[in-house]
Amino acid sequence: MEIFQGLLYGFQVALQPINLFYCFVGVFIGTLVGVLPGLGPAAAIALLLPSTFAASPVSAIIMLAGIYYGAMYGGSTTSILVNIPGEAASVVTCLDGHAMARQGRAGPALGISAFGSFIAGTLSVVVLTFLAPSLAKVALSFGPPEYFSLMVLGLTILTYFARESMVKALMMAAAGLLCGSVGVDSISGRYRFTFGIQTLMDGLGLVPVIMGLFGISEVLLNLEQGKEKQEIFATPAKGLFPSRADWRLSTMPILRGSVLGFFLGVLPGAGAIIASFVAYAVEKRVSKYPERFGTGAIEGVAGPEAANNAAAGGAFIPLLTLGIPANAVMAILLGALMIHGLQPGALLMKQAPDVFWGIITSMYIGNAMLLVLNLPLIPMWARLLKVPYAIMFPFILLFCLIGSYSVTNNVGDGIVMWVFGVLGYLMKKFDYEGAPLILAMVIGPMMEEALRQSLILSAGSFAIFLSRPISAGFILAAALLLLLPLITRRKEVAKAWTSVPQESE
Amino acid sequence: MSRDLTSALFWLAFAIFFSIESLTQLKLGTLHQPGPGFFPFWAGVVLGLLSLILLLNSLRNQERLSLSGLKSWKLLLVAGALLAYLLLLETLGFVTITFLFLFLLLRLEYKGWVFSAVSALLGALASYAIFQLWLKTQLPTGPFGI
Repeated sequence: MEIFQGLLYGFQVALQPINLFYCFVGVFIGTLVGVLPGLGPAAAIALLLPSTFAASPVSAIIMLAGIYYGAMYGGSTTSILVNIPGEAASVVTCLDGHAMARQGRAGPALGISAFGSFIAGTLSVVVLTFLAPSLAKVALSFGPPEYFSLMVLGLTILTYFARESMVKALMMAAAGLLCGSVGVDSISGRYRFTFGIQTLMDGLGLVPVIMGLFGISEVLLNLEQGKEKQEIFATPAKGLFPSRADWRLSTMPILRGSVLGFFLGVLPGAGAIIASFVAYAVEKRVSKYPERFGTGAIEGVAGPEAANNAAAGGAFIPLLTLGIPANAVMAILLGALMIHGLQPGALLMKQAPDVFWGIITSMYIGNAMLLVLNLPLIPMWARLLKVPYAIMFPFILLFCLIGSYSVTNNVGDGIVMWVFGVLGYLMKKFDYEGAPLILAMVIGPMMEEALRQSLILSAGSFAIFLSRPISAGFILAAALLLLLPLITRRKEVAKAWTSVPQESE
Repeated sequence: MSRDLTSALFWLAFAIFFSIESLTQLKLGTLHQPGPGFFPFWAGVVLGLLSLILLLNSLRNQERLSLSGLKSWKLLLVAGALLAYLLLLETLGFVTITFLFLFLLLRLEYKGWVFSAVSALLGALASYAIFQLWLKTQLPTGPFGI
């Protein structure tokens, strides 16, 4: 009953006109950044975070969350119409979605991804509703050793799924831990690695670092490659609704994609991108006609699109119950909660039930809004995609500049963004990924605190991580993931990545 | 030098610097009572060891380092423009520097003086309206008051 009371309370919060408005703005902007290639949800949320300072915490988080799952809807539009992923989780949608568009079936492709996204998004919120409160209760029994081991596992999962070598991904995680230790040490109060620079006293800002690594560096790469003219398929205003045959083929992929996506989304480090890849691979494997994949199979659109939306819902679980972000987007949401004076984690449900239930219920509303919004707006997005990159990129850069400056009204943060933009560009050139660095930077301080508290607790013995059963389980799983590649060479992961066009987040 | 070798050397230097800094400037403390340098020191050691693994692996790799993109003057110009924007923002004021920045970058890829000038002006004024007037961001003002 507790859950139904919570839901009821949540809807009272989420249905207030002001929150409906913020939800609408969030999903609208989310769809926009999803549609636009080269501007992902992480950079967009970082950019808009300062503009929510004046709003109430609930409204702010509802809007920022809307950007995240809204982007999952928008990304598929660009994949299908232009064969460029609008954002990273829609990379696989290009394969069959664009093939369908070339056969004149852009309408059903767009339709099934919108419906699939809606079904998966809603299903995952339903599971989130029932799972989050009980998980939060379990999490209450976690002490520092459990948190530390869980975070080790999270970072290991992230590096295990890395596109390039696992060694490089682990290096980026270690570098991220170092970046996270810049600023004041929370236990001793000492300044670390600030070198007398005022901006570094508060630590490296998450917003400038993300906008540098994912925003600026992306623009630099696009400029270098020179976006060639892409053919954009005109969409018929009618015919967006999939036929009965389409539905028959898509129903099971959507359901499978939802389940897969949700569980991969919950895992720290896996997330929407991996979920869409795995869903595609699964659909191809269970299909009676795997040779149809890549030539316009609707299952190849339905499965991954469902999976990335379900993953977006699942990713809220670790944030709301443990206070640990599962990916870069959740890392900013974590930052947003803390800026608004809330402590994400096991106690959030007790201390701020309006935020906890408000976010969850707003996702039911947001998903419904997206379904209604998305289909009629597709012709508008198609026109927007015709704007040449030469005109778009100066404005993307300008938004990054304003965003990094306005967090603390400090030019120093802009310089941090610039440094990480150049670093991010070089990292792409040298085949390093930004995601492990970001995640490690965010959870670094939490990990350090948990580690030091555990050691104080155990009087200096590392055995504490193995003598407590839950913690030992996490450590064992992490060790397995680290050792597995030595035996299997990660063939499956490598194969999944090479089978699709290149794109980063 | 292969790409992996070059980058491994960079991260190795990075790791050594942070580890030494943690060891000498901060305190490692004891295992009973870890100090502020404890965590970064070991993170640095892990990064260093991983860099060494990458370095050893890369020695077997014969690939030559080639960075075509770095030679592109266009990228240097964009990176320079970004830096110049940040350094001049508080002296020139938001609207002026934004106009100059947008104008320069629009001219870079998209030809046409008039188009670039008009779009840059509209872009600067529109972003001022959105961020300063509507979202109440505190943007720096220059000698012209905007």
